[in-house]
Amino acid sequence: MIGRSRLIGRAGVGAFTLALLYPLAALFAPVGGWDWSPQVAGPSIDSVRTSIVLSALAMVIVVAIGTPVALYLARCARRERVWWQAALLASILLPPLALGILLSIAFGPAAPFGAALAHIGVGTTNTATAFVATQVYVSIGYYVLGAVAAFEGVPRALEAQAALLGHAPFDVFRRITFPLARLGLAVALSIAWVRAIGELGAVLITAYHPSGMAVQLWVNLQSFGLPAVMPLLVIFLAATLPLPWLAHVLAQRRARA
Amino acid sequence: MLDAHVVRRRDAFTVDVALQVERGGALALFGVSGAGKSTVLSCIAGLETPDRGHVRLDELTLFPPSLPLHRRPVGYLTQEANLFPHLTVEQNVRFALDGERDSPWLDELRDRLRLHAIWKAGATRISGGQARRVAMARMLARRPQLVLLDEPFTGLDRHLVRGLLDDLLAWHAALGFTLVVVDHQPAILERLTRRALVVEDGRVVQDGTWEALRATPATPLLRDLLAPL
Repeated sequence: MIGRSRLIGRAGVGAFTLALLYPLAALFAPVGGWDWSPQVAGPSIDSVRTSIVLSALAMVIVVAIGTPVALYLARCARRERVWWQAALLASILLPPLALGILLSIAFGPAAPFGAALAHIGVGTTNTATAFVATQVYVSIGYYVLGAVAAFEGVPRALEAQAALLGHAPFDVFRRITFPLARLGLAVALSIAWVRAIGELGAVLITAYHPSGMAVQLWVNLQSFGLPAVMPLLVIFLAATLPLPWLAHVLAQRRARA
Repeated sequence: MLDAHVVRRRDAFTVDVALQVERGGALALFGVSGAGKSTVLSCIAGLETPDRGHVRLDELTLFPPSLPLHRRPVGYLTQEANLFPHLTVEQNVRFALDGERDSPWLDELRDRLRLHAIWKAGATRISGGQARRVAMARMLARRPQLVLLDEPFTGLDRHLVRGLLDDLLAWHAALGFTLVVVDHQPAILERLTRRALVVEDGRVVQDGTWEALRATPATPLLRDLLAPL
C-alpha cells in the first residue's frame, strides 16, 4: 500500500510535470487553419533541409574536434582542467545574440582572420559555412563538457589493464574507453544537437540565409502569423526531440542495469 | 631476471627499494599497509613512473625511459578484478589474445581455471571469486614474462584463496614467469615464495627466507607481523 507522503509526493511531481509539458498543449490551440500554402511550404521545406544537413555537418565537426579535446581534459591533471573548463564555460555562457555579433565581427572582413578567409574565397556571412561555423561555436562547449563527464566515468584502471594486456592507446580507446563512455557521449551529442539546431540568436546575425528552421519559424511568424508557424513547428520538434530523448532514456536504463 | 631499483616520493616518506629476482623465480614484498609495497609494484608495472632508479626485465628496459604499458610483457593483478564490464567472460579472456580465434590455449585456460559454466556470462554477472579467476585467466592468456600480484586475494574466503593459490602455483610452474607478490598476510606469501623482502616506511629492512625472517626479525614491527594472532 502506498503511504500518504508518497502519494502527496507523486501528486506534486505529477503537477510539476504537467506544468512543464503544458506549452505542448499549444499545438492543439485554436489558431485557425494551419497554413501550408506554397509560399509558406517552399521556404519551410528548404529550411528543414538546411537545418538537418548543415546541423549534421556541424555535429560531425563537433564530434571530430570535441572528442579528443574532451578525452584530454578528462585525463589531464585536475588543476589544469579547471582552467580549460573555465574557457569552455565562458563560450557556453555567452548570450547567443552577443556570440553572433562577436562571430560576425571576428570572422568579418574588418578582422585580419576574416579578411584572410575572404581572400581565399570563404564567405563568412550568410553562407552555409557561416551557418555551420556558428552552430559549431554554440554547441561544441556543451558537447565537450558532457563528453568529459562521460570519459571521467570510465575507470582508469580498466584502461591500464587493457594496455597491460598488449593493446596500444587507440585500440584501448576503441575497445574499452569508447564503449564504456558511449551513452554519456550520446547524451552530450544530443544536447549539442538541440543547442545547434534550435539556435536563433547567433545564427540570425551570421547566417540569416540560408535560413534554418529556427530563422524560418521567426520569418513565418513575422510574415504570415501563427497558422504558418504551426506545421513547421511540428517538424522542428520532430527533428530535435527524439534523438536527445532516446539518448537520455537509454542512458537511464543502462545506469539502472 | 628482474632487476629493479625504484625511488618514488610520497607524502610521508620516499620509497627507495631495490630488488632482484632470477628468471622464473618468486619474491614476496612484505610489510604493513602503507609501507610502499604497492608503489614498488605499480612502478614496475608502469602505472606509476619512478622519480629515479631503473627497471629491467631480462634484456628489456622498462625504465628509464618508461616503456609504454602495451609493450611490457607484464601481468598485473590487484584486489580489484578490473574485468571489462561490457564484455562477457570469454571476451575478457580473449581480449589478451588478439588474432587467436579458437586457440587450444584459450580452451586450456577455460578448463583448468574452471570457467566453463560462466564462459558466456556477462562480466558483471559473476561472483567476486569467479571474477578473480577470470582476471587470472585473462592475465595468463598473454603468457607474461613477469607477473605482479598486489593483494589479489583480499576479501575472499579461505577456500577460494586456497584454490587460487593452487592455480597460481601450477601456472607458475607451467609457464615459468617471474613472480613478485605483495600482501600483508604471511600465510599467503609463504605458499607462493621462499624469499621475502620486508619493507617498512619505503625502505627494505630485511631480505631473506621466511625461516630466516622468523628466526631473526630485523625490527619489532616485523616480529609482530610474523607472530601468531
